[in-house]
This record gives sequence, structure tokens and C-alpha cells, in this order.
Amino acid sequence: MVVTFQLNGEDCRFDGDPMTPLVDILRQERFLTGTKAVCREGFCGACTVHVDDEAVPSCLKPVGLVQGCAVTTIEGLSSGNQVLHPLQANFEAADAVQCGMCFPGMVMSLSAFVRDNPHASRPEIKAAMVGNICRCTGYERIVDAVADCLDQARKAGQLVGGIHV
Amino acid sequence: MAASVERLFTAASTIEEALAARRQGATVLAGGTWMMRDPRRGVDLPEAVVALHRIPALSKVEIEPDHIVIGAAVTHTVLGRALRAVAGFEGLVAAAEGAANPGIRRVATVGGNLCALGFAAADLAPALLACEATVELQTFEGSRLLGISDFLKDRPALLTEAMVTRIHLRRDLIASAHIRLPLRQAGDYPVAIVSFAVDKDKRCRIAVGSVEPVARRWTALEQAMAAGPAPALDPKRAAELALEHNDFQGRDGKEAEGWYRRQVLPTLVRRAVAALLKTEGLAWL
Repeated sequence: MVVTFQLNGEDCRFDGDPMTPLVDILRQERFLTGTKAVCREGFCGACTVHVDDEAVPSCLKPVGLVQGCAVTTIEGLSSGNQVLHPLQANFEAADAVQCGMCFPGMVMSLSAFVRDNPHASRPEIKAAMVGNICRCTGYERIVDAVADCLDQARKAGQLVGGIHV
Repeated sequence: MAASVERLFTAASTIEEALAARRQGATVLAGGTWMMRDPRRGVDLPEAVVALHRIPALSKVEIEPDHIVIGAAVTHTVLGRALRAVAGFEGLVAAAEGAANPGIRRVATVGGNLCALGFAAADLAPALLACEATVELQTFEGSRLLGISDFLKDRPALLTEAMVTRIHLRRDLIASAHIRLPLRQAGDYPVAIVSFAVDKDKRCRIAVGSVEPVARRWTALEQAMAAGPAPALDPKRAAELALEHNDFQGRDGKEAEGWYRRQVLPTLVRRAVAALLKTEGLAWL
């Protein structure tokens, strides 16, 4: 079966088993290895991507369900040569990244969260991270960075739309 | 990645189209969060699937003055958001907003949660039992309505032919609560779940999930609470009655042993009644 969708803004065509997990196509066919396949059960959050702007686990998403959708991976958030997403810039400034395994998923989950919740409190930030497990346990610094990011956006007069994904 | 597989995948745009695929032997695919883990359970993925996400009628929540209709393809996130301001359904909202983790809740559907055979820890099952929900099934012979208790009991046989399309709720609750005990603060399967609702006749409806293989009403406790001389909605008294009328056979599982699931129930009942008393509907008590 042929499945077509937008991947990081470009047309993507997959011809194969429609029940293939999206994460496998991203990593093995498109070499977008920023998305990590860790637990493959939807518990760890390392494979989180955006499908039509919603942060979802790509390990449990059969590619057949993304027909016609827009998929954004960590590589689509910023190429590395471009300006970082404000959340990524805050993570870098706070030195929040440890081993890095969970981080692409963490960024994808939280970038959607800050876009939709510009006035989030610390408990709300923590609740949004429930599905993203960091085995280095660097949670507090991550929460600090998200809170700083929201604070900066508010001070700059930017609301929801100010932090673009 | 899976080797080249000739799998039939239908994204139905109408219920009729979905039924036609079912007639050809296709398995219903909802959000995929349960089915996609089949290979990890040693089960092959189905050779033919029919996805429901493109059927508009199954992806909406209709809130009427006296009833609510929930499409089977509505996600937990959408359900929680839709019912957040509806008095009486606090328990169902808590179930939808507390299950699994945010990423799963954006994908996992109401129908999938009710139809995942072998998933004892489904949050929506006890919450909908406490709401006395009616399940609308689409069969090859037409549609059929069934009380959720009967649906859950006969699910394996029913789902060989029928497909869940909608859930119907009467708006006859004044308050409800949904209390779950995960091993961590959140994000894993709950050891036990108690859903508690009070209807307009001041009748308590209590349901338990994750303790036995299939969620069910706690009728022994409901009857004891209706008969008791003590104030009906006192957390301590409710916990005492729960201890006295605990007729559950806990299932052993990797998260917890059966005796523990059973033993925590009185505490969850106490918490559920305390949560009920904080709702707007029972603030007068």
C-alpha cells in the first residue's frame, strides 16, 4: 500500500506495510534518527513526533493512519544551522541535556505544550512530561528551562503564537 | 522493519464502509495504541484492518440537555476537554485526563479502550460503568444498544461480529469521581481503579477496574450504602463498608499481586467519597 504524507514540510511517499510503525520509517527509510525507538510501547516518549501539530508516540502510530497528515520530527523543528526553537535555546542555556536519549521526544512533547499553554504553571509542566521518561533523571532542570522559556515569551509580549513549532 | 506484507488497510469514511470491511474479515483499528503492541505480546498483527478515524460521525461528542453521545473514535484528550464543564461527569473527565500519558491520550480512543480484550486497567470502563452508559453496536443486521455491564461481560463474543460506534450517557448524575492507584504518581497502569457516581435519586453507583480481568459494578457496596443508617457519603464509613463488602478476586499481574489490588479498595473508596464531596454537585452536603 502507498501512503503519502508531509514530512518536515516535504512530500513523503511510503510503499509497504501500512501497519509499519511510523518511527521505523523515520529512522530506517528517512534516516531521521533523532526520533528514538526505545520502549516501543508508548511509555517512554523518546519517539514523540508531531502529527498534524499534536505530539504523539510514533512507535504506536501505524503509517497507514498518517495518510495525508503533516509529520514533524525533531529535525524539522530546527536543522541545526537555523535559529533554534526557543525551547531548544532554553534547554541549551540551562545545560539541561544529559545523555540526550530522551531529549528529542522531550522537545517534541514540550514544544507543543508551550505553544498551547503559554501560562502553564510548574505542576502543569510536570504533568505534560508524564509520558517522557529521562533515565538521567534531570527533570528539575528541564522544568526550569520550560518555565524560563514561557516567562521570556510572556515578558516579550508573545503569547501562544509567539512560540512557533 | 516488517518484511513486505500484503496487508489490507481500509480507512473507512462511513460506518457502512467499515461494516463492509468487517464482513470481509477486517479487524477494527482505532488509535492503534493497543493493537500496535500485539507483536510484543506474541500476537501477529491482523492481515486486514479497517480504520475508523475518517468517519466524522464517530469523532464527535454531542452534548444535549438530557444526554450525551460519544463517538467511538473520540480520543481521551477530546473527551476530557468536551466534558470538562459538564456537571456530574467529573469522574469520566478524570478518567479521560488521567489515563496513560498525554501522548497516548491524544491517540487512544473511547472505542479502543472499551474493546481492547485483555486490557484490565482500562480507565474508561469503570468510569462509564458508573455513568450507566449504553453502548451502541453496529452489527451486520443493524444497530443495537446494550448496557455497558452486559457489553463488558459478553465482549469477546459480541466483537466477533459487532463494532462499537457510540456511547450514550444520560445526564442524570449530580457528581462523580474517579480514583486510580498507579505505582508511580502517573504514567503507568493503575493497580486498582474506583469510579463513584451519585445520581439525581441520590443513588450511589460504584465500579471497579483493574482489580479483576474485567471492570464491573460493586453492587454489594452499592446496596450496603443504600441500606446503611450512617450518613451515606461519609468517607470513613464508606471505607468501612467497602472493607466489609469486598467481594473481589484480585488478578495477579506484573504491577501487583491480586491480594494487594483487593486490599487497596477501601482506601480508594474513601478517597473517592472525599473527592465527591468536593464537587459542586455535592457541596451542599
